[in-house]
Amino acid sequence: MPAEGIFLLENSAAPPWWAWHARLRAWWLARVPLADTLALTQGNVYILPTRAGWMLAATLAVLLVASINYQLNLGYLLTFLLAGCAAAGMVVGHGTLRGLTLHLPPPQPLFAGGLAVLDVKLANARRTPRHAIGVALRDTRHWAWADVPAGGEATVQVSFQPARRGLHRVPALTVETRFPLGTFRVWTVWHPAAQVLVYPAPEPLPPALPLGEPRAGSGLAGGARATGEFDGVRGYQRGDPMKLIVWKKFAKSGELVARDTLHMQRQALWLDFARAGGLGTEGRLSRLAAWVLAADAQGLDYGLRLPGIEIAPAGGAAQRLRCLQALATC
Amino acid sequence: MLSLPSARGRLAHLPREARDTLFLLAVIGWVLLPQVAHLPAWCSLLAFGVLFWRGVLAVRGRPLPGRWWLVALLLAALAATWASHRTLLGREAGVTLVVILLALKTLELRARRDALVVFFLGFFTMLTSFFHSQSLATAAAMLVGLLGLLTALVNAHRPVGQPSLRESAWLAGRMALAGAPVMVALFVFFPRFAPLWGMPSDAFTGRSGLSSTLRVGSVAELALDEGIALRVRFDGTPPPRSQLYFRGPVLSRFDGREWTARGGDGFEAMAGPPPGDLRVAGEPLRYEVTLEPSGRPWLLAIDAAPRPPELPERWRARLTGDLQWVSAHPVTELLRYRAESYPAFSYGQAGRDGRPRRDLGAWLQLPPDFNPRTQALARQLRAQAPDEDPEAIVQAALRRLAQGGYAYTLEPGVAGRHTADEFWLDAKAGFCEHIASAFVVLMRGAGVPARIVTGFQGGEMNGVDGYWTVRNADAHAWAEVWLAGRGWVRVDPTGAVMPGRIGQFQRLRAPPGLVAGALGTFSPTLLARLRATWEAANNGWNQWVLNYTQSRQFDLLRGLGFAQPSWEDLGKVLAGLLAAAALGGAAWARWDSARHDPWLRLLQRARQRLRQAGIDAPPHAPPRELMRRVAASGMPAALRQPLADWLLALERQRYAPPAAGGAATLATLRRDFHQLQWPRAA
Repeated sequence: MPAEGIFLLENSAAPPWWAWHARLRAWWLARVPLADTLALTQGNVYILPTRAGWMLAATLAVLLVASINYQLNLGYLLTFLLAGCAAAGMVVGHGTLRGLTLHLPPPQPLFAGGLAVLDVKLANARRTPRHAIGVALRDTRHWAWADVPAGGEATVQVSFQPARRGLHRVPALTVETRFPLGTFRVWTVWHPAAQVLVYPAPEPLPPALPLGEPRAGSGLAGGARATGEFDGVRGYQRGDPMKLIVWKKFAKSGELVARDTLHMQRQALWLDFARAGGLGTEGRLSRLAAWVLAADAQGLDYGLRLPGIEIAPAGGAAQRLRCLQALATC
Repeated sequence: MLSLPSARGRLAHLPREARDTLFLLAVIGWVLLPQVAHLPAWCSLLAFGVLFWRGVLAVRGRPLPGRWWLVALLLAALAATWASHRTLLGREAGVTLVVILLALKTLELRARRDALVVFFLGFFTMLTSFFHSQSLATAAAMLVGLLGLLTALVNAHRPVGQPSLRESAWLAGRMALAGAPVMVALFVFFPRFAPLWGMPSDAFTGRSGLSSTLRVGSVAELALDEGIALRVRFDGTPPPRSQLYFRGPVLSRFDGREWTARGGDGFEAMAGPPPGDLRVAGEPLRYEVTLEPSGRPWLLAIDAAPRPPELPERWRARLTGDLQWVSAHPVTELLRYRAESYPAFSYGQAGRDGRPRRDLGAWLQLPPDFNPRTQALARQLRAQAPDEDPEAIVQAALRRLAQGGYAYTLEPGVAGRHTADEFWLDAKAGFCEHIASAFVVLMRGAGVPARIVTGFQGGEMNGVDGYWTVRNADAHAWAEVWLAGRGWVRVDPTGAVMPGRIGQFQRLRAPPGLVAGALGTFSPTLLARLRATWEAANNGWNQWVLNYTQSRQFDLLRGLGFAQPSWEDLGKVLAGLLAAAALGGAAWARWDSARHDPWLRLLQRARQRLRQAGIDAPPHAPPRELMRRVAASGMPAALRQPLADWLLALERQRYAPPAAGGAATLATLRRDFHQLQWPRAA
């Protein structure tokens, strides 16, 4: 669900009052406190009539005039009962949100270009269900609807596409209902405190992992690979000589595997920002991300050097996470 | 042919969209049903045809017809409306158009937005059915319709899954219940205005009642109408039925076919100045009349009422020369008035100038080419009477009616040119207007001034609420003859033909419907009792709801202590109620925010107690954290242990999985809270 509506406000052709409007909204939004759990109360639930509400008001006016002009006492009764129902609907609608608790667990990190999925939890402590509650990013209309059972919880998924890598604040959400008659819009604006981490998008076809560097203290200068002693196998990398490939394995499973030599294990794999090709900063970070993924997939130990950051070589999920976080936030 | 269970099964397994559409169509059909009797036949057929078509499309999941179909149907309907009503404006044409629009809009039911238009048109259609009837039954039917529309509206605003209609209906019912106090307050205190602009002239077509002309057959239609014309409540015991002649228009002009009143229908035009020599005797009957709207200016009162009826404000009444009370404008709403009548009275001996009247020619005129045989009969009667005494002539005519084999019937057949001849000499049967008309013709032929009086005779006591009910079926026509020395004297020739028609409850009834017939054979008294109860309910409805006018509003305000009520006071009362409701709402909101979560409240109280003892208990510390702080506080173990146990139990109550069991209830925890020995500040 792409959130193309988010940037609607940045319309250069908008009239001047619109700019004021946008500024006013931004100011107001900044005043909404950040919170991962929001209990909806009288103070933060807003209510205004919808277009249907105005239509109903017009209908009521017509009914009233007809009752007056034709002196229909039963017409008065109908008009006033309908008005009473609309008023009751207003209270019911407000009560649908009031007392609801919203909670947003920390969202999963993702790569740039992907969709960040927010699992919004709606908790209802009341003994009656709450119907037709919609959640959407503020200023979009991609509503995700849910009924919250009595004394229970419902989860609504909303997603958005972060524009670039980095640590992003989750955008403001609107929680809304028009239940029960559609005549009133009851809503709240929620600015979750949670942040979503966006890694750089991995380069789709990265070059082969860089060659290892001699480990400090190994005592061996970098030499040729052709020692002939094989200590294991590893995943194929571009640039591996043909004779190192385990063809039998490829014939069986279709997987390209190359023989590893002891000499290579004495080399430490460093993924270095300075050696990631002649691309721009983002391009290099993308390549480094792709390399991190590749090295992790091959089970290699690797280190990461970024301007001002150096992560010592290691392997496993923790290293991967560390490196991707560094790439996202540097 | 579908068998019933499989049809029900299919209904249950319809996709949501189709099910909701069918429900809405059914509700619309229900709302339109009361209109069928008042709409042109093509309109009902088109509306219900369209609803049916839409239902078939919904069940089969077919696409809706294109826009051109709708435009074509709408144009055809406009043309047909023009053909039926000769206008597109006005009430009747407007109702026809609203019904057509409502039906056609269902064919455009694509988005929820379209549905809203259908709902609002539906509400308006409900109002239009009140043009024809505001009875209790109509109100009940429309309440069902309103609840149906609200149910559909609630249902349309539940986008998740397949919500159950019963749940939506339950919610709609609860909203209506919650809205009822608003309705009552507004109904009672909303100021009643006069129509904001001129009442459309067709506002009261289609209401039956007495007519200002009498053509043979028109009263026969009324005699079959069980609708209520007026209700009376007597201050003391009701008089015998035979005295209850409610006087309506007096018809003096006859053109051979039709009797009309002198003058016309208007307030000023109606028959000259009031009689100067009305004399009454004896004790008056005092009573209160609730008159159903007739669209006519006639204020029905029992003969004879010398003083004007006590009418609500802004009503004026005057007495015509024919002793009939009329109001300045037509009775277009349920009208209540008090009146006083003297069954013993005499009038009409003197003319306008106070001397014995000579202007009786108008009541002797007969069209020359009509009823030759009756005129011959009249001459014969006059010749036979001693001294051509008018009173003897009247007696002779009445004797002839009683003994001459004349019969009362509601089905006299079609009368030819000479209606009186046919009654007196050929058919010898008719109902009150035939008899009265023939009698007056005979009297005039015999030289006795005579005229027809129309109105209501009799009525029926409702044993449940004590109201006397007069129906349109009680419409009657009788005669008045002028006798020297006595003035106008009432003669009811129908009584001579069929004594039971007058004064006793033996009205000719229309054959009862199937259900009423079955009930009647089962238990005749049950039927009568049911009917009496139903009518008492209807009368209560009329008295308390339909007759709730500005004067009653002001009476209520006077009761509330306003000395000089005006509609500004009504506004003040409404504003006061609104303010009270708002204050109540605010108080409730305050109370509501305080009762948020009983568990949290209990925890908060525990924190407070600990803080009082000097233990630092931050506002968001959970029970376990409090326990830790209690343990660290260095209070004696005898005091500490129960406290720790209680805090642990509090935690378990909230967080232990329900299957684990052993969790104390909140009530127990609260009781323990009070029994615990809380530490005191050192």
